[in-house]
Amino acid sequence: MPSTANSRSGGPCAFRFPFRPPWRALALLLALWAGGAAAQEEDPGHFEVRSASVELRNGVYFLNARIEYRLSAESRQALESGVPLTIRIDVELVHGRRFWFDNEEATLRQRYQLEYHALSERYLVLNLNSREQTSFPTLFSALNYLGRIDNLPLIDAALLDSDRDYDVRIRAVLDVEQFPGPLRLIAFWRRDWSIASEWYRWPLPGS
Amino acid sequence: MAFARKLRRGLLALAAALGVLLWLAALVLFSQVAENSDDFARLQDWILAINSIGITVLVLLIVVNLARLIRDYRRHVPGTRLKARMVTMLIMLAVTPLLGVYIFSVEFITRGIDNWFSVDVEQGLGNALELSQRALDLQKRENLTEAERIGARLAAVNPEDIVAELGRLRRESEARDLTIFGPNNRILATSSAEPGTSAASYLSEEVLFQIRQGQPYVSLEPRSGGEFDIVAVVALPTPVVTAEPEILQAVFPVEQRLSALASQVQASYNQYAELSYLRTALKYSFTLTLSLVLLVSLLASVYGAFSSARRLVGPIQQLMHGTRAVARGDFATRLPIAARDEIGFLINSFNDMTQRLAKASQEARLSQQQVESERKKLEVILARLSTGVVSLEPDLRIRTANAAASTILGVDLEQHVGTSLVELADTQPLLSQFLAVSSKHLQRGDTEWREQIVLRGEVGRRVLMCACTALPGDADSEGGYVVVFDDITALIQAQREAAWGEVARRLAHEIKNPLTPIQLSAERLRRRYLKIDSPDNDLLDRATHTIIQQVEAMKEMVNAFSEYARTPAMDVTVFDLNELISEVSHLYEHQDRPLAITLSLAPDLPPLRADAGRMRQVLHNLLRNALEAMEHQTDARVEISTRTVGREDAQLVEIKVADNGPGFSSDIAHQAFDPYVTSKPKGTGLGLAIVKKLVEEHGGHITARNREQGGAEISILMPVSTEAGDAATPRRRDHRRERA
Repeated sequence: MPSTANSRSGGPCAFRFPFRPPWRALALLLALWAGGAAAQEEDPGHFEVRSASVELRNGVYFLNARIEYRLSAESRQALESGVPLTIRIDVELVHGRRFWFDNEEATLRQRYQLEYHALSERYLVLNLNSREQTSFPTLFSALNYLGRIDNLPLIDAALLDSDRDYDVRIRAVLDVEQFPGPLRLIAFWRRDWSIASEWYRWPLPGS
Repeated sequence: MAFARKLRRGLLALAAALGVLLWLAALVLFSQVAENSDDFARLQDWILAINSIGITVLVLLIVVNLARLIRDYRRHVPGTRLKARMVTMLIMLAVTPLLGVYIFSVEFITRGIDNWFSVDVEQGLGNALELSQRALDLQKRENLTEAERIGARLAAVNPEDIVAELGRLRRESEARDLTIFGPNNRILATSSAEPGTSAASYLSEEVLFQIRQGQPYVSLEPRSGGEFDIVAVVALPTPVVTAEPEILQAVFPVEQRLSALASQVQASYNQYAELSYLRTALKYSFTLTLSLVLLVSLLASVYGAFSSARRLVGPIQQLMHGTRAVARGDFATRLPIAARDEIGFLINSFNDMTQRLAKASQEARLSQQQVESERKKLEVILARLSTGVVSLEPDLRIRTANAAASTILGVDLEQHVGTSLVELADTQPLLSQFLAVSSKHLQRGDTEWREQIVLRGEVGRRVLMCACTALPGDADSEGGYVVVFDDITALIQAQREAAWGEVARRLAHEIKNPLTPIQLSAERLRRRYLKIDSPDNDLLDRATHTIIQQVEAMKEMVNAFSEYARTPAMDVTVFDLNELISEVSHLYEHQDRPLAITLSLAPDLPPLRADAGRMRQVLHNLLRNALEAMEHQTDARVEISTRTVGREDAQLVEIKVADNGPGFSSDIAHQAFDPYVTSKPKGTGLGLAIVKKLVEEHGGHITARNREQGGAEISILMPVSTEAGDAATPRRRDHRRERA
């Protein structure tokens, strides 16, 4: 391997003795802090559940949903740099209580890993629940694929109390906790990293 | 108490150790951020919470300490300046290297991280990736040509044989899947080497779009497990199965070795890209970790500075308090020994010192008390002393004087302490006489002299035996003098009285005896020769008569003398003095001469225990004395009064007999009670002498003076019981008072 240049930050500063105020570190911290806000204004990520419905077939509830994913510039950059993003879809069956918090009757978490494959220049979507992998030539088609949930079995109707009224709610979340360590730390401080849709809630149709 | 303190200290130390451990654990986990550990995700909140709590607690502690320091500084609490200086110094000492290490570390890490990501590696990896892509591209092109060839061959196949033909072509071409799609993504025919693992059950929009554009589609598709497929899609030149346009999709597996290599290149490239991307975040997290460490360390060291300054200054403050207390004179101060170091030694020495001081001051106080009590004793002795003692400054100012001196000199010297004797003598005749004699000696520079001084006062002569000694001086004060003098008037008087007694006895003995034969002889002469009628009869009669008369008078005189000298046994009884006075005075009222006797007798007079006969004689003598003195007066008046003079040790009865006669003439006033001293035309001159003798036999005391309104006054002080009256001191004191 040719050793023409040894540093990307410039040759002469290969090793200057570093008793200098940590302006760079401070500037870095500041930039991260301030940059977050700026990035948010520039191109904030946005997840939205466009529509969702549940249908009962053969005693089982199946979920159909359309979700719009728009990644922020930061997360797109991370993705293209090889950082896998995890998108989680939370589906909850809740029993509304009048004077208390809603009671979660059943929870389904569907997780997908979105990854950019540099060699093939394709986007891979890995269903972490079923380990099923699909590849797409564009991010758009990958997100489009992710946004279509068709016939996802939700719960057996027999498990539910027929006298009660239930609500179904769904949301999509960019799962920060699956980030690699350093990024997770940044995501902890900068909330714009964690993108999540509003809960989409509707009553479960009676059996 | 000590146990509780120890327990508290132990608990505090434990809490501190626990806090430090937790913090260290948190930091260790924190530093693992870079290692992508899953633990961090779970513990992140805890770690941040622990650090936040730690920082909050430390900040609170520091704020409290700082506030206390500022408050103390404003109140000028001793030791605060030292503490403030120490805190500043310790903080500087701790902060400077910490900041240095921090700056170094941050710089080092940032620079180090930057240096890891070298252009060479990145470029190398990029090149490797490109190489792989090129290699795969070659295969892609081959596979596409193959797919096109298969498509051309399929054009001549009957629709019935299509499945068999597909299988045959697949085996020939080493493709894994061959599928013919009709309109709407409908699969018309398929052949697969591994049935069930169909790569795509439908054609995606992108593929269809490209085909519709008349372009063949080929792509590399990663499979799970790190393998790759090459998918080539071509439009069939002529529909085989239906009349609609048909599409052939051929899936070729990439050769395993190539696949593995490409996969590896992809993995490396990806890893590097990811790390390169995360570089900023990594720097950020390291910087954050370091900053957190720095913050906690800084706060801890600031708090430590406060804590150690307090611990260091504490004993010094105690010492200062102790020193102040000692300066105020509180020697009971003992300081607790904090440690076994030099300060502990200092405190020990301080305690030792205060102990010694306390002991010394105690001793000083004791000796002072002793001196004081000695002085008091001396004062009492001096006060009780009948000898006058006066100490003088060298310039004759009075330093001290006792009561006796005041009484003898007739001036209250104790009131005039600090006044010069010379000034005082201007108004005091007795003192001026005394001073005249004294100053003569002082001027001569006599350090020690003795002299008898006779002072002539209004009431009488006073004879003083005076001795003076110069006091030894010291560095602070000059010596001065001490003058000691005794009133020896009474002594001289007593000597005189004793002499008179002796004279009287002699007279009685020597004179009385020849008087009787003289008288008898004279009477015989009369009897024998007076009957004879003779011309000398008349002469004889007169001569013998004179002899007998004079002898009788002489006898009377000698009797009186013997009376004076006689001391018969006392016949002590208890009687009412008032009654006796009334009785005696009654006798005088009924005599032929007009005499007004006024009695003012105290009704509550205690019964007197004395010789009633002698008391009666005393009264007789006094009244007779008064009568005789006022022989030629028509308005003769005598007042007799009694009263009780109470005192704590002995009750005294005072009898005053006053007249309005001529009084004592000044030349005999001082010897009114001497025998043969009289101013009266008649009288033996023994009346008052006998009275004095009788009174003194009872332990009483008699004084005589001239009244201001004219006339003489004689006052007698008698003890209620004779025995009690024997006590000399009160009598003596009264004696002085009466004279003053």
